[in-house]
Amino acid sequence: MQTNRRTLLKGMAGMTAILATNPIIALAQEGAGGVLRVAAAKPAGDLNPHAFKGLWAVQDLIFEPLLRYEHGGRFSPALATEWQVEDGGRLLRFKLRQNVKFHDGAPWNAEAMIWNLDRWIGKDSTAWMNASRLFAGHKVIDDYTVEITFKEPVLGLLNEFSYVRPSRFLSPKSVDAAGNYQKPIGTGAWMEEQATNDGSEFERFDDYWGDKPGYKHLELMVLPDSRGRMAAIRAGDIDLTGGEFLAPIKATEAVTLQAAGVPVVVEQGTSTIVAGLNPDRNPALKDLKVRQAINIGFDRNAISQVLYKGLAQPAANIFPETVHLSGKRFPVPARDPEAARKLLDEAGWVGDGVREKDGQTLSIEIVVSEEQIAGSRSLAEVMQAQLGEIGIDVKIRSVDHASRHSDIPARHFDIALFTTFGAPYEPFGTIIGLLLSTYDNGVDGKLVIDPEHLDPLVNAAASASEDTVEQATQAIHDYLHDQVSCLPLFYVPSIWAHTNRVSGFKAPSTEYDLPYKGLALNF
Amino acid sequence: MRTLISIRLRNAAVLLVLATMLCFTLVVSAPGNVAVLIAELRSPKATFEQIRAVEEELGLNDPLVVRYGNWLGSALKGDLGVSYKTGESIGPALAGRLHVTGILVAGGAIFAMILSFTLGFIGALMPGSIGDATTRIIALLGASMPSFFVGALLIYGLAVELRLLPTFGSAGLSSWIMPWMTIGLLPAAVLSRVVRVGLEEAMARPFALTASAKGLSRGRIIFRHALPNIAPTYINALGAQGGAMVVGAVVVEPLFALKGVADLFLQGVLFRDFMVVQACLLVFLTSFIILNLLVDIGMMFSDPKLRRQGANA
Repeated sequence: MQTNRRTLLKGMAGMTAILATNPIIALAQEGAGGVLRVAAAKPAGDLNPHAFKGLWAVQDLIFEPLLRYEHGGRFSPALATEWQVEDGGRLLRFKLRQNVKFHDGAPWNAEAMIWNLDRWIGKDSTAWMNASRLFAGHKVIDDYTVEITFKEPVLGLLNEFSYVRPSRFLSPKSVDAAGNYQKPIGTGAWMEEQATNDGSEFERFDDYWGDKPGYKHLELMVLPDSRGRMAAIRAGDIDLTGGEFLAPIKATEAVTLQAAGVPVVVEQGTSTIVAGLNPDRNPALKDLKVRQAINIGFDRNAISQVLYKGLAQPAANIFPETVHLSGKRFPVPARDPEAARKLLDEAGWVGDGVREKDGQTLSIEIVVSEEQIAGSRSLAEVMQAQLGEIGIDVKIRSVDHASRHSDIPARHFDIALFTTFGAPYEPFGTIIGLLLSTYDNGVDGKLVIDPEHLDPLVNAAASASEDTVEQATQAIHDYLHDQVSCLPLFYVPSIWAHTNRVSGFKAPSTEYDLPYKGLALNF
Repeated sequence: MRTLISIRLRNAAVLLVLATMLCFTLVVSAPGNVAVLIAELRSPKATFEQIRAVEEELGLNDPLVVRYGNWLGSALKGDLGVSYKTGESIGPALAGRLHVTGILVAGGAIFAMILSFTLGFIGALMPGSIGDATTRIIALLGASMPSFFVGALLIYGLAVELRLLPTFGSAGLSSWIMPWMTIGLLPAAVLSRVVRVGLEEAMARPFALTASAKGLSRGRIIFRHALPNIAPTYINALGAQGGAMVVGAVVVEPLFALKGVADLFLQGVLFRDFMVVQACLLVFLTSFIILNLLVDIGMMFSDPKLRRQGANA
């Protein structure tokens, strides 16, 4: 057959028609059915609940705690039905739920609980947890009653037993002869069917002791690019996305989704972005008036509106109200350049342009990491521009995640951004970890170091009784506020989006959970 | 020709060693300490002692030359090492992803060839017409738009608005159409100009005039006589664009959630997992070199002058 342009063009048109109709056929054959499709920014990874590698939210699907952390810092029963703290906080007694099975049929009882505890409690790798560091021993009272004893009263004891890891429970049959973890088998509502780089598939555990989901399958779809996730939810290719650690939604993306008619749920989260000051590196920051000038030298409301589309609430406290013992609310500092200039004049920093004192210029370095906080570079640029107007020269240094984890503990910054840990680690996770100078906080570093004034307040709160703990923690909040030891910037919102196919969505109590409970699929 | 190919292969091996050496130096010199991240995976509040222990365990304190030597020695034995992050062997992880990147680049190349010939022929068959001007505009747009923008536009138009194609994934032909179009549009734009200009030049040469005088149609002259003349230039340009597509996969794979080598490479870069980064770079470099070798061989077959030089080499 002789080829001419007509034949060629006809052939190409035919191919185009085949390619164009194929997807329609393919989509018609597919269909989500009884499957909840959830986006994740990365694969689930190693789900061993006693290691620290997998995605929290996925571990939450499979493994359950003894008690669950709920909104407002309450606890609800999970694998334990009752618990008592006795002997001044040195003894914790759990009454275990009966008739609970692991996915492999193994029974949940005191023996299974002790087997799990022995895999992590009292070990060096978990010494960052008070319950592990102060662990003294455990005792099986009967098949469904266990007592755990501690050398000293444990701060945040119940919180620690609600963590996603390592405090959750794996089937004793899910390890090899040497005790090495093999498969993710827990007691949760979902059983893992398969996991690949593209995602994970889960089947409902029909013998689950609690309320069973109304749909049979749950798929976790790995979409590393946030633009891809936004397109996928708008097109209805996924049903649910969001969560700080699962598939974060930026404020701009949330607003775009809302405008496109996609239901977006924005709730007050439990963590705060705080700027830490380092007077040891930059002596100018030792002066309270300089810190006060910086505090009122930039506009939190404007930054929230421009960078966070008003979804992040400006902060004056280090904890949002959603955190237990978050203290009385301080007024959010309003930007007041005139007052800030006056404070700097009083502190002896004078001159046009960049201020000077004793031949030194008022120059400050802000260290930001986009990998740690998305948008932090832009945030620092706004601070740079606004503080520049009051005569402070701000230099911005952008670093990667690994460099941040080297520089921040080594105190190589004048100002750096920190994020408080959020529930269920609060309030003492942040109070001890970021504020107590004698506690080794590892690569997260310290928000404030003040052994003389702050450490006694933290120690007092840590050893306070239930009657006095509120007053003791308020003393910390007052000190941080009065001394402007750090600059709370924004409360991080919890943002989720779902399609109209999903109903009954409620934001989770922590960013470590996957909010599948109570969800219904409409079609 | 065999001698020429063997010389090319020898040069390729030397180039590969030099390139991996350069990449290794750049990767390990990048800021950030992978030991910090690994220690964090083992214990969320890793202490400095634990970080130092990880550095010793991984040999991160060894001199650069020793580290490179160890890596090269293992790589030559087929062992690409173990991922610092996951603890898994990199070889099987790469092998499980090669086909994804392969399908992406090969499909993109086929799309680029079809589109470039279509646009080039339309321009050459109807010089100065509206059709010719349209192909120029399409080529200009294709060459001007970065692939992430093209991908976003396609997703918005074809997936979000029209719901014709899935927004992501690699299951079924329909999933691949947008990735192929995204990665292939820029090369198609460049190649269409190669076809258009090449055909125009060929058609101005005496043999085309002679063929026309003998009564052959313009289309027949183009397909039968002019097309073989632009083959060497086209193959050369296609090779260069093929290399660009391998690099372009770094943008396209995450956008469409394709789990190929480029996706693994990005994960490695983010975690400072330089064993993974190095292995991926090795794949990229090898593919570049193989592509260039194929281009050289292809040009020899398509260009009689080069073929004769090859035969005499």
